[in-house]
Amino acid sequence: MKQRRTGLLLLIGVIIVLALLPMLVNNYWLRIATGALMWAGLACSWNMLGGYAGYINFGHSAFFGLGAYVTALLMGDKLAWPFFATVPAGIVVTALFAIMIGAPTLRLRGAYFAIATWAFAEVLIQFTSVMDFTGGIGGIGLPPFLDERFFYFAMFGAAALTYLITWALFERSRFGLKVKALRDHEPAAEAIGINTSLVKLQTFVLSAVTASVFGAIFAYWVTFINPKSVFGGDITDQMVVMVLLGGLGSLWGPALGGVGLFVVNRVIWMYWGDTAFYIAILGAAIVLVVLFMPNGIAGLFSRDGAKSGAVLDKAVGKVVGDGQGGPN
Amino acid sequence: MSVVEGKTAGAGDPILVVRELYRHFGGIKAVNGVSLEVGRREIAGLIGPNGSGKSTLFSLVSGTVAPDRGQIRFDGHEIGGRKAHAIARLGLARTFQIPAMFDNMSVTENLLAAAAEGHWQGARDRAAETLALLTLDHVADNRASDLSGGQQKLLEFGRVIMRQATLILLDEVTAGVHPNIRKIILEAIARLREHGITFLVIEHDMEMVRNVCDRIIVMDAGRVVASGSFNDIVRNSEVMQTYLGRPQ
Repeated sequence: MKQRRTGLLLLIGVIIVLALLPMLVNNYWLRIATGALMWAGLACSWNMLGGYAGYINFGHSAFFGLGAYVTALLMGDKLAWPFFATVPAGIVVTALFAIMIGAPTLRLRGAYFAIATWAFAEVLIQFTSVMDFTGGIGGIGLPPFLDERFFYFAMFGAAALTYLITWALFERSRFGLKVKALRDHEPAAEAIGINTSLVKLQTFVLSAVTASVFGAIFAYWVTFINPKSVFGGDITDQMVVMVLLGGLGSLWGPALGGVGLFVVNRVIWMYWGDTAFYIAILGAAIVLVVLFMPNGIAGLFSRDGAKSGAVLDKAVGKVVGDGQGGPN
Repeated sequence: MSVVEGKTAGAGDPILVVRELYRHFGGIKAVNGVSLEVGRREIAGLIGPNGSGKSTLFSLVSGTVAPDRGQIRFDGHEIGGRKAHAIARLGLARTFQIPAMFDNMSVTENLLAAAAEGHWQGARDRAAETLALLTLDHVADNRASDLSGGQQKLLEFGRVIMRQATLILLDEVTAGVHPNIRKIILEAIARLREHGITFLVIEHDMEMVRNVCDRIIVMDAGRVVASGSFNDIVRNSEVMQTYLGRPQ
């Protein structure tokens, strides 16, 4: 009870600080905070499927990119949609793609699923690189809107909504029980009446559309996108590492990992001017987490501490092969 | 509704009818033309040597594995080849030979998950009752992976109770457990049967089979070789040969 009250007070404090942040920092740090909120939200969206359902998606950037491209195309000179109308359009398009891709690929497990989703993102890179209407490899511009506070609060709102949905659905509802049950033992979940194919697809679609919202805001924010900048594999890689570092399958882990790694990235860039060193830090972070903190940073504060790592074992076991790979 | 009540407890027609069921894995004839019936409210024991096809038969009936051919009729529904979750929703529940835990969930969450599809109303109260019935209340907040092997068997049995099923398939539910846990499970089975629930039980413990089961079905090499009361079975020469081998 006391722990719950402390957690609630901490959460309220964080929300107040985040709400007041534009009045406390300059535009440079506000941009960093905007990016940190985006990565915290993206990591959370990846964690819905990767952490809660145990399906490691290496093509999650595809949905981030779809949201970005739909907004960019609809806001272009020809159509000139207002930004807020493009976000639901991106959600619909992304949901349709997620259903189309998820229905067959979620029949796969482990490395097979990871490769299939990675291939989907690669297909989108190639497609947008050769098509004229997407601007090809050169990319596509958006009408500039240079209000840092707008983008900060847009990312803040999207991230807050993402975490609220995750808390309500995965931590406080029957749906969350079903998702976690299928992660831990799919045949047993089926045997207690859970339609695992449907629950996996629902989770996949939710995870995808959440990422698309951040893609839409990102595109409008940076005013220019190209295939690599929104579909690139490194975007998914970062989400994976952020979640592993923060705590796979936990609510706040992705926020800790997302904010932590992005701020480290920006600080390195600030002092050394390039981010090659950041790649080395990512690698070291993965090794350290797997060896010493299998439940991530969030695990250090949980009842089980950092010792178990069973969710990580399950996820990694599925990818590297534990007899559960291949088509169902 | 009490924690141990099922949906129906009618008499008359058998609750489970299996006809000419086949399932081969390559050259292995795991289930090779099995036909059997289980009556309502009955506790039927399914025995046979290792590799005789008992667990495969459970997987076929519960939908975990699809049959090559044959018929399975449960409570008036043709279920052969249906998905496991669809069969479970009709009122059939099962345990696995090796306890199938939701390792990263707490003991209580394991029970609640079993009620998440179709039996959610009052689930928290029923979970508390089930924990008390199975003496797992002191580990309610522990992770399932932290339980002992015997406690995991109890928890899996608890999940079956939470399903409020009409037919329960138990796969060696008392194998290798402490006598106290075995006693708890047997008492719970007796209580559930009083409420009209039917059991089909795979068991190697002949003492339990004799004390608990109304009828025994014997399998060997993927086929049913005998069926009857315990006394009939122990006098059956074919069954004795199945277990002890043919005289030289």
